[in-house]
Amino acid sequence: MMAAAGIRLERLTRRFAHRVKGEVYAARDVSLTVAPGELVTLLGPSGCGKTTTLRMIAGFERPDAGRVLIGEEDVTGLLANRRNIGFVFQNYALFPHLTVFENVAYGLRVQRLAQDRIAAAVGEVLALVGLAGYERQFPQQLSGGEQQRVALARAIVTRPRVLLFDEPLSNLDAQLRVRMRAEIRALQQALSITAIYVTHDQEEAMAISDRIAVMSRGTIVQEGTAEALYRRPASEFVARFIGRVNLVPARVVAAGGGHVEVEVGDHRLRLAGVEAAAASGEKVRLVVRPEAVALAPAGGDGLAGVVRTRVFLGEKVEYQVGVGDDTLQVTRYAGAADAAFTPGTVVTVHLPTAGVGLLPAGA
Amino acid sequence: MLVLWALLALFVVFPLGALVARAFFDGGRFAPGALLAIARDPNHLRAFGNSLLLGALVGVAGTALGFLFAFTAVRVGLPRGWSAVLDAAALLPLVSPPFTTAIAIIFSFGPRGLITWHLFGLKGFTVYGLGSTFAAETLTYFPLAYLTLKPVLAALDPNVEDMAFSLGSSRRRVFRTVTLPLTVPGLGNAFLLVFAASLADFATPLILAGNDFPVLPTQAYLQITGLFDFKGGAVLSFVLLVPAFVVFVLQRAWVGRRYYVTIGGKTGAETAVKSVAGWARWPLLAGCLAVAAVIGWFYALLAYASVVVALGANHAWTWVHYRVIFTEGLKAIRDTLVIAGLGMPLGGVYGILLGYLVARKAFAGRRAMEVVSMVNYALPGTIVGIAYLIAFNDPPLVLTGTALILVACYVFRYSPTGIRTTVALLQQIDPGLEEASQSLGAGSARTFWRITLPLLVPAFFAGLGVVFIRSMTAISATIFLISINWTLITVRILENMTELSLGPAAAFSMLVVAIVFVVMAALSRLLRRFRTPGRVMVAGLLGG
Repeated sequence: MMAAAGIRLERLTRRFAHRVKGEVYAARDVSLTVAPGELVTLLGPSGCGKTTTLRMIAGFERPDAGRVLIGEEDVTGLLANRRNIGFVFQNYALFPHLTVFENVAYGLRVQRLAQDRIAAAVGEVLALVGLAGYERQFPQQLSGGEQQRVALARAIVTRPRVLLFDEPLSNLDAQLRVRMRAEIRALQQALSITAIYVTHDQEEAMAISDRIAVMSRGTIVQEGTAEALYRRPASEFVARFIGRVNLVPARVVAAGGGHVEVEVGDHRLRLAGVEAAAASGEKVRLVVRPEAVALAPAGGDGLAGVVRTRVFLGEKVEYQVGVGDDTLQVTRYAGAADAAFTPGTVVTVHLPTAGVGLLPAGA
Repeated sequence: MLVLWALLALFVVFPLGALVARAFFDGGRFAPGALLAIARDPNHLRAFGNSLLLGALVGVAGTALGFLFAFTAVRVGLPRGWSAVLDAAALLPLVSPPFTTAIAIIFSFGPRGLITWHLFGLKGFTVYGLGSTFAAETLTYFPLAYLTLKPVLAALDPNVEDMAFSLGSSRRRVFRTVTLPLTVPGLGNAFLLVFAASLADFATPLILAGNDFPVLPTQAYLQITGLFDFKGGAVLSFVLLVPAFVVFVLQRAWVGRRYYVTIGGKTGAETAVKSVAGWARWPLLAGCLAVAAVIGWFYALLAYASVVVALGANHAWTWVHYRVIFTEGLKAIRDTLVIAGLGMPLGGVYGILLGYLVARKAFAGRRAMEVVSMVNYALPGTIVGIAYLIAFNDPPLVLTGTALILVACYVFRYSPTGIRTTVALLQQIDPGLEEASQSLGAGSARTFWRITLPLLVPAFFAGLGVVFIRSMTAISATIFLISINWTLITVRILENMTELSLGPAAAFSMLVVAIVFVVMAALSRLLRRFRTPGRVMVAGLLGG
């Protein structure tokens, strides 16, 4: 196996002419470093430029500016067939006129390997993806999941330096998606191959990646581990795109020593472990995840609220609680003491004091 | 690419230019006088009016008949066998020489017709004129409408009709307010196709229209073959060019607007078509079967006429007509097969090459190439034939009388089917396939040979099949291009008709139908052996 190579993108930019909007950036100054053996996900809504970026890495599209480096080699000017990459397409792009065996063997034939070595390599990789015995089938005779595995086998059999995935699971049903993403992750780690994975599904991104780069309008707006993005989003966009969130308006009263004191309505809150800098008097928004909010019977210290709706979802209960003019989303475990308030009940809302992110009022 | 452009320039642009030049210029001077003279000649004016009238009538009737067939075939829930019968009835006229219906009509209703003379004892009944021409062309060209409308109707999601039912509409209302409006673009397209086919058809009017109902293509033909007046022929066909061009533009506009059928994203639940009441299917089917019976009768009559001494006069069995065509007519048969055999592979290769370039490669003049490649296909055959005749009759390029001119005419006139099939197929073939090949290290040459080309095999066979079938059956363009050295079966049929030796004409027609059916069967067999996405209709051919 070839040693895993890192990937470096330097200010990749791709423009195109749009009939109505004029010149549009599909990708703008996208810079990213992927360590050898790491799996990084490009996550974003459709049209954010993640697929364009991936296709520039693959060599299917040329950047208007910027560089792509694989290992330490600048491949920006190379055609796709000279980059030694594996690409898994959204719709698999299996060759319909070739058998499973010939599909997988295609890249090896291009390398002019001897027939027995091809047969051995194909057999090995098909066994790896659990498709031994499918050699003589044609793609259209296979189920979606099986086609996905063939596409995967075809991409890894040539031992590419990097693997690129373009929404590979979006054509599968929900259960299969969950299973396949685990398999892809396991395979990627077993082969310790560098990979970039494009998806718009935040749960999939969180499940599969070492790191996530969130894209919006052609640029990477934040990158980090799933946890870091969830706990400390740098913008409202990231906060809302990853998980559900309450952005609670507040005013900084005092700051310093790792603590920030804020005012929410007429209620004061002392937050611990806040990394963001905040100045006294500044208007901010607290990033409060629904599961971090606790409810209690009316009375006592806290914000006053009214339960508007309650939805029972098996292991958890989701509330919408009116606080002043705003509505807070609250998620509690079904077995918790505060999981049984009925709509109309007046409650006291406890906001968390640790693990709360701060966003400036305009971000 | 340069070679393709050179060929297109030589065999499409140059002849058309020569035609226009001949119509407008006289000895190097711009002289539109001839055109004006035509405009003033009441005879030609009448021919022009007649052509439009005939085209419009045939267009309307052919579209109506095509709709009846298509609606019955896909919306009524017939058992499989019945729609196969409808398909066969519609296919037969498409793959026959263009005047088989005309011959059969003369056999039935002519001066000695089986029906007019023998059955009813009518004497002095004239079959010739608008009525019979109209009937013959309608029966010949309604399959075009059928083939256009069938996929449109088949793609209409019954869920949409269910929706209308659920809102309380009656069946009739659903048909009037949902089904019909959704088919309108298809109907428009079908009408234009049939109209154009009728406008271009000169074989049927030549036989059936008679002296009192002149139409433009026959006038142009007579001008050239009867009077050797190239200029007059050029002018007349230029006049014909105008409505043909209008149709071409209108049709592109229709097709450009796309059918409505693609509105839905995911397909809805499968649901049976309920828009036709149970009892209503029988009259619909009966209507179709009546038409099919007429077509069947015509062909049976033709078969019968080919094995009796003289239909209508002497009904003794004989093989003499077949002996005639295989002795005197052998040269025509051999020539036709040689030319069709030469044109077939050339047309197939040319079709996928041009289709691939136009669909997948970005280059300057791509649209222009596509349009130019369609020109000979869209023009009435008479125009193409006369244009070739004028262009290649004099130096620098004298091709008249050679096999090359016939092959070139067929290839450039009938390959557009192959081109379109290639383009359509390429649109279905995910570009990701080529990218996948690339990402696995294959260069563009390898990708083309190993991935793209194998997937285009159906288009290759479709293109090649059409060129072959048309080489066997077409006459309108090539009648101007035959010579003593190279002649064609279709032309021999026409000669036989004018000499009133109907027996050999019938025998020739049967032979052509038989050959075409064998080739079509072989092709569809071949096609079935290739696994490919998308299906290809070998029969999507334009008459003429």
